[in-house]
Amino acid sequence: MNLSEAIRTVRWMIADTFRQSLSTRLFWVTLAITAVCTLLCASVRVSGDPESMRYEWEVPAILPQHEAEKIGTDKAKNDGVRIISGEMTLGFGAVKVPIGRSRDDSVRLLSVWLAGALADTVGVLLALLWTAGFIPTFLEPQSATVLLAKPAPRWSILLGKYLGVVGFVALQAFLFVGGTWSALGMATGVWNPNYWLAVPLLVLNFGIFFSVSTFLAVCSRSTVVAAFGTLLFWLLCWAMNFSHHRMLMFPNESLTPISRFLLDVGYWSFPKPLDLSSIFFDAMHAENFVSKVEEMRTLQSAGKFSPEASIATSVGFAAVVVGLSAYELEMTDY
Amino acid sequence: MTAAVFEQVGKTYRTGLLSRGGVVAVNNVSLTVPQGSVFGLLGPNRAGKTTLVKLLLSLAQPTSGTVSRLGEPIRARHTLGRVGYMHENHAFPRYLSASDVLHFYGGLSGVATDELPGRVDRLLDRVGLADRKREPIARFSKGMVQRLGLAQAIINEPDLLILDEPTEGLDLMGRQLLRDVVRETNALGRTVLLVSHSLPEVEALCDELAVLVLGQVAYRGSLKNLLPDPITGTPRTLEQALQGIYTSEARA
Repeated sequence: MNLSEAIRTVRWMIADTFRQSLSTRLFWVTLAITAVCTLLCASVRVSGDPESMRYEWEVPAILPQHEAEKIGTDKAKNDGVRIISGEMTLGFGAVKVPIGRSRDDSVRLLSVWLAGALADTVGVLLALLWTAGFIPTFLEPQSATVLLAKPAPRWSILLGKYLGVVGFVALQAFLFVGGTWSALGMATGVWNPNYWLAVPLLVLNFGIFFSVSTFLAVCSRSTVVAAFGTLLFWLLCWAMNFSHHRMLMFPNESLTPISRFLLDVGYWSFPKPLDLSSIFFDAMHAENFVSKVEEMRTLQSAGKFSPEASIATSVGFAAVVVGLSAYELEMTDY
Repeated sequence: MTAAVFEQVGKTYRTGLLSRGGVVAVNNVSLTVPQGSVFGLLGPNRAGKTTLVKLLLSLAQPTSGTVSRLGEPIRARHTLGRVGYMHENHAFPRYLSASDVLHFYGGLSGVATDELPGRVDRLLDRVGLADRKREPIARFSKGMVQRLGLAQAIINEPDLLILDEPTEGLDLMGRQLLRDVVRETNALGRTVLLVSHSLPEVEALCDELAVLVLGQVAYRGSLKNLLPDPITGTPRTLEQALQGIYTSEARA
């Protein structure tokens, strides 16, 4: 089979996976979540707080303006209380949240929360659970025999399925980020182009872990194994990523040389979800308004963090795992 | 040229923890399916018929021996583009319509994109599903899915058509349709390999056949030669002839 035929197979499989995704109820659920988040963003109104003096040596008490007025604004100021006058309202004024940040930072904070916490954690985990059944279903002998008896090589069939799922999640990520970005921009006048970086990072994060799901599915043909195995692996990678950075931050902590070596090997071999989150965090200049994971901050300050290497090794991991899955499928009798 | 050749083929499926166990599905099978024939592959359950089909379709690899398809070794996957395969209980993706199914499998079989729509419409008409072509197949009965499976198997106008228990779930009209398709295919000089427990279909369609018992070839020859009793020469039904073979092989 030549390359053009393999590409054609991949294209057919991608189109089929899109049809499969569109036919599931969960597609509409995720679309509804996107719509709700977009509506929430459209309902945001924000009035910023002027930058106030910051004290390096203390954490000032903070009071919203209306609370400070109850005890007397001057008295509160004399006591070192920082009075914040900004306010963010959600739900078209239904929920009021006092904020002590500028308008831009307030909107960025919401963006980081939406993309970093909601989409990158809850969204990616839901997507992994939702898509865990795609490959096992398609590999059931009753479904697969006719498909695998076609001239298309098995690797291209699996690659097409993998890319189809990742492409579909990319579409969902695009809709989510595009919808919330537009709504927030129109509602607040704050347009933050860096927010779009969330799309490739979400897709990357999902694609890396979906490769593990694919491998488990090919080996076991079980949705349960693919779903829970991937979730466990995701937790393992977070723990490994965090522990590795902590090890670098506190080199004298009681770790045996072999543990340190294994942690190092694990970090460089496995995906790095904490690093990916951190890259988005930095792109959004989020350190101005949210404290960063201390281990990550220290590592960056010491110049020991390379986003490029982190991304490259994570992508490399996914490529190797997809390759292994294809090999396993090639070797399997049906 | 031959449509399929099995030379001293053996297949053992590994089972158990660390694949320590094994089930012998076929053992030392040598068989040739001549081009242009309608060839029947018969045998009781667990005789190894489906295993031979899987080997021929590169769905499984032989443990020993060699298999060739349309004159080339089975590792040459491109020859699968000239093969059509209908499986007895195939589960098509339920989210696809009949038309989508044929487009999808036709595309993967290598049918040119510009030829597909015309072929799909003709075949849906041929198998009596033209009026349901936009309906998701989740709503189809088993017989309708079988008809669709037949259309899928011939969408690439194959030189070798493999039908594994094709009559399963088909009504009288469906069976007649199947017979017509087999005869039309054969009339064009193409080969049909029919794996079936349905003896009327075998008798009506096959020129030659092979009978497998316990993973080995127990009979290979024409239908005509199988029917007379080998000892008395009296005519037998195909069922009686097969029972005779199964019994004698089981005793052996």
